[in-house]
Amino acid sequence: MDFDFNNDLEKRISDAFCVFDHHSEKLIDVREVGTVLRLLGCVPTEEEVNEVISATETEETSGVVHLTKFLPHVSQLLMERKMEPAPPEKILEAFKTLDFENKGYLTKEYFGKLMMEEGEPFTQEEMDEMWPVAIDPISGHIPYELYLNQLMVYL
Amino acid sequence: MLRSCVCLQNGGSGKRRSSSVEDASSCRSSEIERVGASMQTTTLGSNGQPQTLTPPTSTRASSLLQLFQRKGWCKHFRKPLRGMSATRAEKTIRAAIFIQKWYRRHQARQEMRKRCNWQIFQNVEYACEQDQAELYKFFNDLIKHMPQAIEAGNKGQTSKQSIGPEKSATLYEETGEMARIQLELPIQKKHIDLMIDVFRKKRGNRLHPKYVCMILREAAKCLKQMPNLWMVSTAVSQQVTICGDLHGKLDDLLVVLYKNGLPSASNPYVFNGDFVDRGKRGLEVLLLLLSLYLAFPNAVFLNRGNHEDSVMNARYGFIREVEGKYPRNHKRLLSLIDEVYRWLPLGSILNNRVLIVHGGFSDTTNLDLIKSIDRGKYVSILRPPLMDGEALEKAEWQQIFDIMWSDPQASQGCKPNALRGAGVWFGPDTTELFLKRHRLSYVIRSHECKPNGHEFMHDNKVITIFSASNYYAMGSNKGAYMRLNNQLVPHFVQYISAASQTKELSFKQRMGIVECAALKELAVRMREHRDELEADFKKYDPDDSGCITISKWCFVMENVTKLGLPWRLLRDKLAPGTDSQCVNYVRTLDLLDTDVIMEAEADGTSVMDALYANKASLETIFNIIDADHSGEITLDEFEKAIDLLVAHMPGVYSKDEMLEKCRMMDLNGDGKVDLNEFLEAFRLSDLSRKEQQEEYLRKRSTCQRPSESVTRLADTISRNTLVVEHDIDPTDCEAKVVGQKS
Repeated sequence: MDFDFNNDLEKRISDAFCVFDHHSEKLIDVREVGTVLRLLGCVPTEEEVNEVISATETEETSGVVHLTKFLPHVSQLLMERKMEPAPPEKILEAFKTLDFENKGYLTKEYFGKLMMEEGEPFTQEEMDEMWPVAIDPISGHIPYELYLNQLMVYL
Repeated sequence: MLRSCVCLQNGGSGKRRSSSVEDASSCRSSEIERVGASMQTTTLGSNGQPQTLTPPTSTRASSLLQLFQRKGWCKHFRKPLRGMSATRAEKTIRAAIFIQKWYRRHQARQEMRKRCNWQIFQNVEYACEQDQAELYKFFNDLIKHMPQAIEAGNKGQTSKQSIGPEKSATLYEETGEMARIQLELPIQKKHIDLMIDVFRKKRGNRLHPKYVCMILREAAKCLKQMPNLWMVSTAVSQQVTICGDLHGKLDDLLVVLYKNGLPSASNPYVFNGDFVDRGKRGLEVLLLLLSLYLAFPNAVFLNRGNHEDSVMNARYGFIREVEGKYPRNHKRLLSLIDEVYRWLPLGSILNNRVLIVHGGFSDTTNLDLIKSIDRGKYVSILRPPLMDGEALEKAEWQQIFDIMWSDPQASQGCKPNALRGAGVWFGPDTTELFLKRHRLSYVIRSHECKPNGHEFMHDNKVITIFSASNYYAMGSNKGAYMRLNNQLVPHFVQYISAASQTKELSFKQRMGIVECAALKELAVRMREHRDELEADFKKYDPDDSGCITISKWCFVMENVTKLGLPWRLLRDKLAPGTDSQCVNYVRTLDLLDTDVIMEAEADGTSVMDALYANKASLETIFNIIDADHSGEITLDEFEKAIDLLVAHMPGVYSKDEMLEKCRMMDLNGDGKVDLNEFLEAFRLSDLSRKEQQEEYLRKRSTCQRPSESVTRLADTISRNTLVVEHDIDPTDCEAKVVGQKS
């Protein structure tokens, strides 16, 4: 481990945070908290994101998070390795769970409905953004093994 | 402030999504999603928002947590899960959540790239502007230290005199293609149609210089009669259109005119400054706007922006554009353009209720004062005004600066704008006081590029409108224009010009173009400090291994370039092929030395280039130093000025270099220097600096080749930033109406 681990970690968190700090005020909109966490390598559920927001949101002005609260809380989370990414096999497993008939793909109707109605549902915009990446244009289905590779690649 | 997010309208599922750059509103314009109820208390009148939402009473977090904490949540089976066993359903839902969170991470990374690119563009742009603002501060300091200069005035030049060559001066013939149209005064609609037809073409789109002079001279003459603030009214037209920065983007101006019609008594327009610089068609934009003003004088209102200024034009490309298009007449044309600039009004007041200015305002802005000044004094806003034997009114100069350069901020207060180097950042409290003091309803301003061409701030009392789409790179942002009805309720029309070019590309390709353009700009800026970077890197690498830690690399980058960017996130790109533990800084330096970056640098203008190119600034410096107007300055006087120059533009010249220069200037050895020697000295030192650079490059080209990853990145940048010229087709735009129609 680096000697500078804490400082380096805090710098990483601060850097990711500041991408969304538009006026150099060390403040970000609560709606960006999820994105910042994901930039730091975490894969949180929406519930986990909400927990972070509740813990770090400024009391006086709601809707913003200040770095002074964000930094220690998230440093702690990262050091405890919470919300860490799972290996690709787990995602494949998740897809396979949905593929009851073991077809090797999912239909657009089924997958779409599931994503928009279950779990932590997608908004219409999220769905619209997902389709071009997920769907095989010829068959109209989701060949999840290929989709998985897309998801895991760091662009 | 953000309790009523648009995402909560989905049946209170409480799901939040991060606001994306391409959202209908950026994350700071939460106000646009606010409810009709709160809107009614503002002076915007009835609800002018895109969606009418009822404010949810539940908080964001609680409804979602409730969903999960509630027992028996499996009861939320819908069709996909019906008929399954409980455990099966549970597994399915868990799998769904798993996939959803992975997908969201993927999206977040895309989002990050967009934001990063945006930050790079903005930071580099404002950092460059800071250099210009330095000039303003330098002059301020110079004047402060040379109090005699204030009383003596500026060599007797007054604002009543016009600057520039006589009317009778001859025009020279230009070589190359010239449009064959004929124009004459008074300018009418038919001339406008002819001009648009000519300007649209990618070739043969130059007017004869005599027509250019004619339009510029006539426009300056008419503008001179106008007050400092246009008084605009919708009494006759029942509506008005406002456009923001155009920055030489002729295609965007043509899109606006195409979609919204030419100006007329029933279709008036306000253009809020920054017509030139950065884009390649600044001259055409300026000529077209001035012609529209001449043809429809009661329907076109032109406000001055901070780029209607020869000092800015020297740095940001407009002067080079004019030089390139009219190599034999550019001096004459630029001088006429200066005349137009100084007589452009400083802003507009609409229906006595809305102020339209380019930048914004500060806590000391006083519109009565602004209405009363002699604006013709300010040929450039960055140089001291011409004086008539009167004392220099620094407070007045500052007033003009503030309205041209300021930006709104989210937090309270009013503080100097450190990012731009001039003007202020003004908070919502400043806005409230300002509006109250001047009995205004709201303010429309421009000056900042926005992803969607517009943005609301300060409880909808400050609206930014920006009309140059693809401003940083193809696909970087939309442009917009604003339409106000008789009650001054706004709606916006967003567009991207040359839309088909972006549409053909995949998302990845589009991202690549913007990203490469950002990297290129950043690399060019870094090149200005290349030697400093190399020296500092080597300091932390005593073993000369070529690698240093990530922290040290980030530290050096920020310290030397003075850009507040997420360096850690940019490391991959700026030191390609490097592993996760340390950074191979040699690759960073090699990237700066690649052809594509060096060509881009040659294309641009450095600070000192600009300073020299702006002879008027050098002359002013000389005149200020030469307090007794003897026509000569002594070494002593010069030394004082050097201290200030060095302080304001560090890294450009050292004090010793400058003193040496002065001694060299004094050719007859009598301890004094006249204006010509002064100017010559700058030219020579500039020349020798260029020679030094070339020598250095020659030496470096004989060194080893860069690594493959650097070469590959340079190739990618080259491929992605290639620009192809087309004829302009204003119908090729993707326009969308946002907000309530009147």
